[in-house]
Amino acid sequence: MSLVDWIAGFPELQRTAIVDAAETASLAKVRRALRLLDEMPKEKRGRALSVELLSTFNLEPFLPVLQLALNCIPSRADLRLAPLNDLEGYITQNTGADQSDVRVIIWRIEEVLPEMLYPFSNGFPVQLSRRTEEVINRVQRLVKLHEANAAVTPLFVSTIALPVHFSNPLFASQHAIALCGAVAHINRTIYDIATQRSGVYVFDICRWAALEGKLHADALLDFVARQPLSGRGQLAFAFFLARCLRPLLMPARKVLAVDLDDTLWGGVVGEDGLENLKLGHDFPGNVHLRIQRELVELRKRGILLVLLSKNNEADARQPFDCLPDMLLKWEDFALRKVNWRPKHENLREAAQELGLGLDSFVFVDDSDYEREQMRQLIPEVLILNTSSDPLHTLNCLWTTDAFDSLTITEEDRRRHDDYRVRTARDVQAHGNDLEDFLRSLQMEVTIEELGPANMERAVAMIGKTNQFNLTTRRHSRAQVQAMLAAPGSIGLALRLRDRFGDQGIVAILLATPGAQDCTLVVDSFLVSCRALGRGVEDALWTALMERASQAGVRKVLAQYLATPKNAIVAKLYDRFGLQPIEQGPSSTRYILEPVERRPRPAWIHIKKKDNANQ
Amino acid sequence: MQTSDSLVQLLVEFFDLPADTRPEEIAQPAIPKWDSLAMVQLITELQGRFGVEFDLEEIQTLRSYREIHDTLVRKGVFARA
Repeated sequence: MSLVDWIAGFPELQRTAIVDAAETASLAKVRRALRLLDEMPKEKRGRALSVELLSTFNLEPFLPVLQLALNCIPSRADLRLAPLNDLEGYITQNTGADQSDVRVIIWRIEEVLPEMLYPFSNGFPVQLSRRTEEVINRVQRLVKLHEANAAVTPLFVSTIALPVHFSNPLFASQHAIALCGAVAHINRTIYDIATQRSGVYVFDICRWAALEGKLHADALLDFVARQPLSGRGQLAFAFFLARCLRPLLMPARKVLAVDLDDTLWGGVVGEDGLENLKLGHDFPGNVHLRIQRELVELRKRGILLVLLSKNNEADARQPFDCLPDMLLKWEDFALRKVNWRPKHENLREAAQELGLGLDSFVFVDDSDYEREQMRQLIPEVLILNTSSDPLHTLNCLWTTDAFDSLTITEEDRRRHDDYRVRTARDVQAHGNDLEDFLRSLQMEVTIEELGPANMERAVAMIGKTNQFNLTTRRHSRAQVQAMLAAPGSIGLALRLRDRFGDQGIVAILLATPGAQDCTLVVDSFLVSCRALGRGVEDALWTALMERASQAGVRKVLAQYLATPKNAIVAKLYDRFGLQPIEQGPSSTRYILEPVERRPRPAWIHIKKKDNANQ
Repeated sequence: MQTSDSLVQLLVEFFDLPADTRPEEIAQPAIPKWDSLAMVQLITELQGRFGVEFDLEEIQTLRSYREIHDTLVRKGVFARA
């Protein structure tokens, strides 16, 4: 993770204090950084995030450290610490209106299954095996209890770390019922639960401890205060928690823009010649090969690759065609900008062609000059590496949090193909009559009610859609579910198919009943940048109007809230025939009375929802 | 070798005391914030700052500047006066 990138938007005074606190792991410095953060204007500190921490060991001594780490996401975190080791009691009692944005269960073997530390005093193997099963049942019961009491709150369940302090460690690994096998068994259950249930995630302390382990344990503090971490350990733990929760607030970056020479292979193809490039299974070519492997994986999980290279295109293409060890294919790049223009110009152009914001981009380049120029001219772009060393670049790819997300959907995995198709479509559209072109796409949309089946995608879109977004309200899953629960609410998702395939859910509309009778207020209306300019917004609005008039709604209120990115929809409601009633510098309120049905775009076929797919 | 000034500074910052506090004024009975939670946090802070680990006996003798100083002298962090 990169703390400096997280807090890049903070003033220098606060940034320096935070880095000082993180480097020294001093509680006094942590408190100082927190005081300085409190002096910052609220809007610069990120979104509010209430976090419940339920732990079997004592987190209270390092609550300020946890607070600082979560503030660095950035967020205005509000930490609520449950009573020590009272997981079931706390979950049972904390239901109702004041639910937090996320709940985290943190446990360890010392409290959950202490018998495991002394197997021969505790009925190894029969009795101990039974105890392990009991713990597994407890994990499952706890998750169900949470879902029964606070279903809308995302739940992070920690895995169990192998303890640092215990005797007879060799034996602990030699029997499935002994410590290591039992911990693996319990953790497997936790991974299974997260796989099966949406809204349940893993806080993988086991992985964290495998990396940080013994150096961060403090047996004395554990005996004194049931707090097992050293000062450094507390800091590392807190920032690991922050990284796990961060995707709830911060959308992942979507594009990696990479350079060719001395990054994808060693050497400069235009000067050294093809035969002298270093790429393959021997050092140092194997480092470049591994970088390529990372890039292929990123592309397959839904990160777009863009090639930015100062080269003649024929030279740049040659290794892709002729080097036997090349893993990356020319076609793996959604866009290629191979020319002699400045890279920042090429990147801006790529952003425009892909319809993505500059803050969706991550940039890798071995040249100090190129990185510095990018940093100065497009500060929104995240620069991944800080030196020309390929092993350093590889390390950055391993550790970066720029692409962190808790779930990877089918839509994500298809993204590369979608964008390539889009580029192809743009080429075809050139010179054609637009409507003819849109007709030729054979678009077919299905309007779905927002519900469990599409909630994950809907909340992800609400969290990251910038351009076609009328209000840019970043609702959490809990907030969306609360809105939908109100009688008279309408939540719709639009699924798009065209002759290139299923594009998935590309538009969301959320409306809640107004204060007066028969009034509907449009809360959120957004369309994915993949589906811009195709008329799906008209289709979705038509569907809303139909449902509204069926429900007896006589008046619809809507609002446009201007952001630096959503000018594209500034006049949308005017086009839909709504009347502006209140115009401010960054907000326009509209009314539609009476509710009029609108004709849907002629080139879109609305498909009745297939019950079998519900 | 560290100087004992750095300990005064650490305690002043840690308990948020006035900058002109004299070392002999820094003692648990005089500082209401110095409760058992603060004690745990202070042990963590001292271990991290001076790169030491305390044993069971030592942590029961960290109740004032003087006691902490003497313990750190015994551990070779500060020179004997």
